[in-house]
Amino acid sequence: MKLEPRFLEKVANSAIQEGIADIVYSEFDTPLGRLLVARSDKGVCLIAYPGESQHALLGRLSTSLSPRIVLSQEALAKTQAIIISYLEGHTSSIDIPVDLSLVTSEFGRRVLDNVSLVARGRVTSYGRLAQVCGHPGAARAAGTALGRNPVPIVVPCHRVMPSTGIVGGYGGGSWRKQYLLELEGALPKS
Amino acid sequence: MSSLPPFWLLVEQHGDELMRYARRLSGDDAEDVLQEALLKALRSYPKLGDGNHLRAWLYRVTTTAAWDHSARRRRRPEVLTDSLPVTTTDPHENDDDFGSLIGQLSPGARAALTLRYVEDLSYESIGTRLGCSPEAARQRVSTAVRSLRKRLT
Repeated sequence: MKLEPRFLEKVANSAIQEGIADIVYSEFDTPLGRLLVARSDKGVCLIAYPGESQHALLGRLSTSLSPRIVLSQEALAKTQAIIISYLEGHTSSIDIPVDLSLVTSEFGRRVLDNVSLVARGRVTSYGRLAQVCGHPGAARAAGTALGRNPVPIVVPCHRVMPSTGIVGGYGGGSWRKQYLLELEGALPKS
Repeated sequence: MSSLPPFWLLVEQHGDELMRYARRLSGDDAEDVLQEALLKALRSYPKLGDGNHLRAWLYRVTTTAAWDHSARRRRRPEVLTDSLPVTTTDPHENDDDFGSLIGQLSPGARAALTLRYVEDLSYESIGTRLGCSPEAARQRVSTAVRSLRKRLT
């Protein structure tokens, strides 16, 4: 006897309504591959590209935030629609509340807060970002903080490029960064 | 900082066997019972402290949920209708001889018999699942067997 998805969704929704599910997650396909997206009551706290195992990702959430984690496609349907619509180029903004609780360092928070101010279609450099964060010369540390961004796409860490002009590294792989920058008009379509 | 695994991974790992167990304890009400059990488990999950014996804990919570469900049903006044009694829609139920055999026993007796003769657990493991000592578990199985024998003779 296999548990039916209908039954599991019912349990998850009851848990959400009762307020005992601290984290809700879902997985769905996008132009950038299958994403695992999780949210707390404050906002989206994790967006993960394919690569890291689901067990490891959920384990990180459990250890750092709360083990009361449930899966619900329904509860994340709106978030899913917003992300897919953005990645398919139907909308030009991605308006979703963000929860950066997974970011523990103050510098890391500052880097992600400041990169969120870089407008769509624009890019900045690691050095410039470090400077804005009050640490001129900490370009490498800014790069590390961006690499640990738990909410890529929504917090646009892809809008930071090396001053050499190449696309540069990206946690999800440089082709995804290229895709996002082309989508946003920061790079010409290849 | 929690050392507990994500709750939903537990559900994915043990949900099927818990549903089978709930069905043996509560028949057609298994879905309601398991839903109550999982919600109850989720409510108290962060208070568990460590991640040991989680499977046994889930069985215990399911057993308690089945008892509570059964008690609530007994308290509920019976509604009289002139329609035919509802029969089971579970296609597997008729195949489950043991399930139908113990179906009339109390949830406690069903739990004890299921854990001993279906799950084939030792009295120590049954005690862990039911939250009692091995000796008390042996006693419960023995009492359940006597009840079953009485019903069959």
